[in-house]
Amino acid sequence: MIEVYTWEPNANSGKPLFCLKEKRVPFTHHYIDMGEYEQFSPEFLAINPDGTIPAVVHDGFVMTESTPAMEYIDDAFEGPALRPSDPYLRWRMRQLMRYMDNVVAPSLAMIASNRLAAPRFVGRDPQELRRELDRIPLPERRASWEKLMFNKTPAADIEESRRRVSEAIGRFEAILSDTKWLAGDAFSLADINVFATFHSLPLGHPEEVAEARTPHLIDWLRRCHARRGLREALAMGRGFIGARAAEVRAMLGLTEGAPA
Amino acid sequence: MITLYQASASAHSASVRMILAAKGLDYSDREIDLAAFEQHEPEFLAVNPAGLVPVLEDGGRRLGEAFLILLYLDERYPEPPLGGGDPRARYQVQKWGKYVETHIAPHLAIVRWANAGARVGAGVVPGFDRLPPERRPLWQRAAEGFGQEEVAASRDALARAAARLEQDLARRDWLAGDEYTLADAAVFPHVRQFSALEIGVPEAVGNWLARVSRETSHGGGPHEVELLPTMGPERGRWG
Repeated sequence: MIEVYTWEPNANSGKPLFCLKEKRVPFTHHYIDMGEYEQFSPEFLAINPDGTIPAVVHDGFVMTESTPAMEYIDDAFEGPALRPSDPYLRWRMRQLMRYMDNVVAPSLAMIASNRLAAPRFVGRDPQELRRELDRIPLPERRASWEKLMFNKTPAADIEESRRRVSEAIGRFEAILSDTKWLAGDAFSLADINVFATFHSLPLGHPEEVAEARTPHLIDWLRRCHARRGLREALAMGRGFIGARAAEVRAMLGLTEGAPA
Repeated sequence: MITLYQASASAHSASVRMILAAKGLDYSDREIDLAAFEQHEPEFLAVNPAGLVPVLEDGGRRLGEAFLILLYLDERYPEPPLGGGDPRARYQVQKWGKYVETHIAPHLAIVRWANAGARVGAGVVPGFDRLPPERRPLWQRAAEGFGQEEVAASRDALARAAARLEQDLARRDWLAGDEYTLADAAVFPHVRQFSALEIGVPEAVGNWLARVSRETSHGGGPHEVELLPTMGPERGRWG
């Protein structure tokens, strides 16, 4: 039995959901409400003492690193292969995932959380915020949350994150003008990894991701959004992610009927 | 024909050398002099624009990123298999490969730099401008010297890394299970520097270091511990 503890089908939290749905592997989803800080609850810390999501548990084997967990899912289960068999193409797939995980996704997280989450903390009792901070097990995480809660993210850092995201958009557009999918001719974990964070970019960054400017990236997003597995995973959200995804599908001219 | 651009004192390079040796693969060695900042010279930046060793050339293709090179070598040259014997072991391999990149190597670079009291000579600074923008701030901060608080935080992070290693090694001899794998080769060259930097190594980790040394002593074995101050991967910027 495979169990997934995550929040919305978004970014790291979404990776195992997208992956399992594409693979057609049945699983149990335990929704961890980040808005309620459930990732720091004693129940969840018993599964992952680091208090990070997602956690994927397969017959008692606990995995807390989202990209390695995706490789595990492709490795351990039947279903369509999500990794190229050629070692060089695999290296390319992994290189893109590493670029995404280490450079691009944290930049988008910094921008998005400062825009969407930071306003929630304005005017809150600092003592109470400190108590919430104290519940976060990892010092690295605690430092990011502290910047967010007390509005201390340096403007230059956010600017650098914007630069990195713009650069990534250009890089992916270039790759997709050359190959159908990000790691070659076949859909792979690299596509899932990028889609998990980029699925609604035409809404959040319309000045950068748009038909006129990035036609290949838009076409790739359209093909991703038309995939049954990815769409089913997006439908597992309870919050705004599902609504935004529906908005993007409408924007891309996709109907809401049975997906391909 | 395999060519490896590498540096003797670079832990990432050592990982690749260890796996090339374990696979019995011959290669042409292109030593890059990190102490002389050869990695920032236009000739090497043409090989890897990020200015990082190692880079592997195989069949006319160029591959960077030490741990991803290890996975490539194991998949391209499957004998003897070193990627882990089952999906769980392979997950552990990937988990440790990632942990080296995101935690151990970035913090180790900061501690090593501070430990050496390293400074960058004025003549070297212009080389930073040739780096991609995401590589520049790290070197600029290194040139200024890392603050005490930052160095202390990195020391803490490495102590936590040692504790994490101990957790896995308390239950088994090798990082990914019952046999030597890419995980051991990815982590070992970094962690063997801990003692020289006065970062405590729990007994189980010390025993494992000795085990890896024995396993790899028959060829391509690790050089002496050399604490070359240089910057590796960037520390996480957000969480």
